[in-house]
Amino acid sequence: MIPRVAFWVVGIASFIIAPQLLAEYHLFQICLIASTALVVLGLVVVTGIAGQISLAQSAFVGLGGYGSAILATRWGVPLWAGIPLSSFAVAMSGLFLGQLTLRISGHYLALATMAFTAIVQLALIHSDPVTGGAAGMPVPVFRMFGVTLTTGRHLYYVILPSTALLFLLVRNVMKSRFGRAVTAIRQSETAAEAMGLDVLRYKAIAFAASGFLGAVGGGFLGSLSTYLDPAQFGITQSVYFLAVAVVGGLSSPFGAILGSAIFIFIPDLLQSFQTYLGLVFALLLLGFIVLRPKGLTSVRLPRYDFASLRPRGQQ
Amino acid sequence: MTDSLLHIENITVRFGGIVALNEVSLDVARGSIQAVIGPNGAGKSTMLNVISGLYSVDGGAVTFDGQRIDRRAPHAIGRMGVARTFQNTELFGEMSAIENVMVGLDRHHPYKFAIAMAHGPSYRRSEIAARREAHELLALVGIADDAPAAASTLPFGKQRRLEIARALATRPKLLLLDEPAAGLRAAEIESLNLMLLNLRSAQGLTILIIDHVMALVMTISDRISVLNFGRKIAEGEPGEVRTAPEVIRAYLGEKGAHALRP
Repeated sequence: MIPRVAFWVVGIASFIIAPQLLAEYHLFQICLIASTALVVLGLVVVTGIAGQISLAQSAFVGLGGYGSAILATRWGVPLWAGIPLSSFAVAMSGLFLGQLTLRISGHYLALATMAFTAIVQLALIHSDPVTGGAAGMPVPVFRMFGVTLTTGRHLYYVILPSTALLFLLVRNVMKSRFGRAVTAIRQSETAAEAMGLDVLRYKAIAFAASGFLGAVGGGFLGSLSTYLDPAQFGITQSVYFLAVAVVGGLSSPFGAILGSAIFIFIPDLLQSFQTYLGLVFALLLLGFIVLRPKGLTSVRLPRYDFASLRPRGQQ
Repeated sequence: MTDSLLHIENITVRFGGIVALNEVSLDVARGSIQAVIGPNGAGKSTMLNVISGLYSVDGGAVTFDGQRIDRRAPHAIGRMGVARTFQNTELFGEMSAIENVMVGLDRHHPYKFAIAMAHGPSYRRSEIAARREAHELLALVGIADDAPAAASTLPFGKQRRLEIARALATRPKLLLLDEPAAGLRAAEIESLNLMLLNLRSAQGLTILIIDHVMALVMTISDRISVLNFGRKIAEGEPGEVRTAPEVIRAYLGEKGAHALRP
């Protein structure tokens, strides 16, 4: 009980203090990490926990970003309502994609979701009048309670609490009978079916959840970058999200945050190395797949027993 | 056959050119323990997979509790009250023993998705009740102490028991056991026997066992059907089947059958 209370106190305190101490640039990066973590959380749910390899994540992100932006520019729906609205719509398309593709599995599923991403990207490029076509479209300003949120410092107060709330909800579901069912399905579909679990339905729900989380993340990322370019929502970007998830730890929500932080800080650290960034990411991914397939969250630092100065558990 | 819980009528299953089951019929009476035996490749496992909905039939019908089930999805058949174990065990390896059982209990302690998100009051109540029932089931099969252990780390005999506990968790009317005695030591088979007899008498469970370990099936079965090359070659009480010449021929070959003849 006490560690839990301490966790909340520290969490809320640092949430309040951070904007006082940090510069705009860092707050912007924190927002970027939180939004990316939401997108990756979607992948953790569908790929890490439900075991369905998905390359549809960047399509969901794109649909979330474009959906909320179009709702705002065409019908004047403010982003704070538009992002959840379009995310629900995207979740429905995730459910539909799930129903359509989940009878296939493994590599074929990866290919089918990849095709979905390609189709969505092409649709965005070819719907000029609505989406601005290949040139893209600007994202309207985020307004809430009469306040205009333009900088990272402002959006921080929307993005961070929303992200925290969604992570909490996902964690709760994971610790429920739904989480148990989906985990069971990953480990043995045959046995899960024999237990009376409707495997297809659970997989489709996992896909819908990944779509929802991806779309919310996409809405936030759109507000942060203020411009949507269809080139950002291709297959490469899907692979990028998958890489973030693998490096962080595919089966852990916390891994989504860890992976996002690394992938957002690295380009900063390697300013002079920009041209080879892709290579660095690729090597990072490869290294983790070979050496640490369960990602960073599986790394346990040896805990020292200071009395005898030996790692614990060794005689 | 009004009192039969499971009624299989002339089912045929083909895999390409191979006929795995050839017009096989079978009746399992309510509250009985029935066994299907036969040499390797006789079609025993195929029959189990047909009943549980994993394979579809090329002819014939399967009726459970008065309803056709041969075109239903496996999970729908499971929900009607058919539970099973698997020949090589199909546990949820990374999950703890108790969680494995709780997956089986899923629909008996339900709550809505929104409740799961918010961890509302009925979440706690259902989870506690499910955990308690899962513990009771683990105790019933004699592995209560292993509740927190990951299923894949349990020794094989205990994995078998865990599979039975998980199957019982669905509160089945019919329990299908696929070679439950394979790989078990004699003492373990004996306690498995006692457990199954106890389940039948205490809960009125109907059990269909598929096996070729005679020690198990001969002692506890009310009826035994013998399959060979996809056909049913004999059926009856354990004593009758044991001495049937067709059965001896199937198991020991033509020469063996001659040698045994008085």
